Amino acid sequence: MSGQTITIISVIAVTATITVLLRAFPFLLFSSGRKCPPVITYIGKVLSPAAIAMLVVYCLCSEYRGRSLADGGWGLPELIASVTVIALHWWKKNPLLSIITGTAVYMLLVQCIFS
Amino acid sequence: MTRKRIFYQAFSASLPVLMGYTAMGMAAGILLAGKIERPDIVFWAFLSSLTSISGALQFAIVNWIDNNMPLIDVALLTLFLNIRYAMYGLSLLEKFKNTGFWRKSYLIWSLTDETFALEAESAIPDKKLNTFYCLCVAALDHLYWVSGVTIGAMAGRFLPFSTEGIDFAMTALFLVVLTDQCREKRNRLPAAIGIICAIAGRVFFSVDNMLIPAMVMMTATFIIFRKTLEKQFEPAEVVK
Repeated sequence: MSGQTITIISVIAVTATITVLLRAFPFLLFSSGRKCPPVITYIGKVLSPAAIAMLVVYCLCSEYRGRSLADGGWGLPELIASVTVIALHWWKKNPLLSIITGTAVYMLLVQCIFS
Repeated sequence: MTRKRIFYQAFSASLPVLMGYTAMGMAAGILLAGKIERPDIVFWAFLSSLTSISGALQFAIVNWIDNNMPLIDVALLTLFLNIRYAMYGLSLLEKFKNTGFWRKSYLIWSLTDETFALEAESAIPDKKLNTFYCLCVAALDHLYWVSGVTIGAMAGRFLPFSTEGIDFAMTALFLVVLTDQCREKRNRLPAAIGIICAIAGRVFFSVDNMLIPAMVMMTATFIIFRKTLEKQFEPAEVVK
């Protein structure tokens, strides 16, 4: 087995296990009538938007680093594509349309203009 | 009501999910196969969509595999990314009570955002039939997702043009989720805290090492400022 095969198998195993455990968490702990501590409910609520926001920053950073070796374009492709996605989604509320348009704009920018 | 009629009812309720899941799943599959070029990627796409059934995660694992990310980071990120699933179960405890071990296990395993929404509003008076309805919805949604990702991975292996920049699909997905969350005012401050902590993480660490410190910082912030932040959630709102 190659190194990458092991990586793929272990990533799939870890992500699936954690995800299933999260789904089962309330059933395992609170099905016998015990109450969920309010601090957990609170953390769950605030962490969801915060984690997504963090991942946006992380994705943009790694996107920028991946290309900055050739031509960074001062992060302009990332900025333009991100604004496209946010504006389109705020307006049309169609996730697929926003993702495909934003990705197409980005691919066009990095392949044709900032290459 | 017969079981056949309930199945059709579940099928028609799941139609919007059919559109969403096959399309989004295909995008995730294309991204995976476009970035990790190997003949057996279709099988891995199938396996991971079958076991995790999680949209954002399906996009995220592409980079994690590609960068050979440490497994502890993978575990923590999955935890943060999918922590909302733990909240869904809280409002389904009653509904899934006494449904039997295997049925209950499958209902829990297959709980996604969309499936949760459909199951939460299911209201067939007969408890057994209602469970059957939930099982149908869960299995159909599961099927749509796995088909979408697998077909996408097949298509991604044969794309006739350069896929450079296609990984922006993941950034775009997170931006879409964030935009939706920020329509609700009470999510804006937590999201801003997430952005600030991530930038702080990037300032003090490299891109590969920024996530764990960022997660620690935001959790600490949320615990320290709990009183201030919790005011936003009053009066108690239903999590959906």
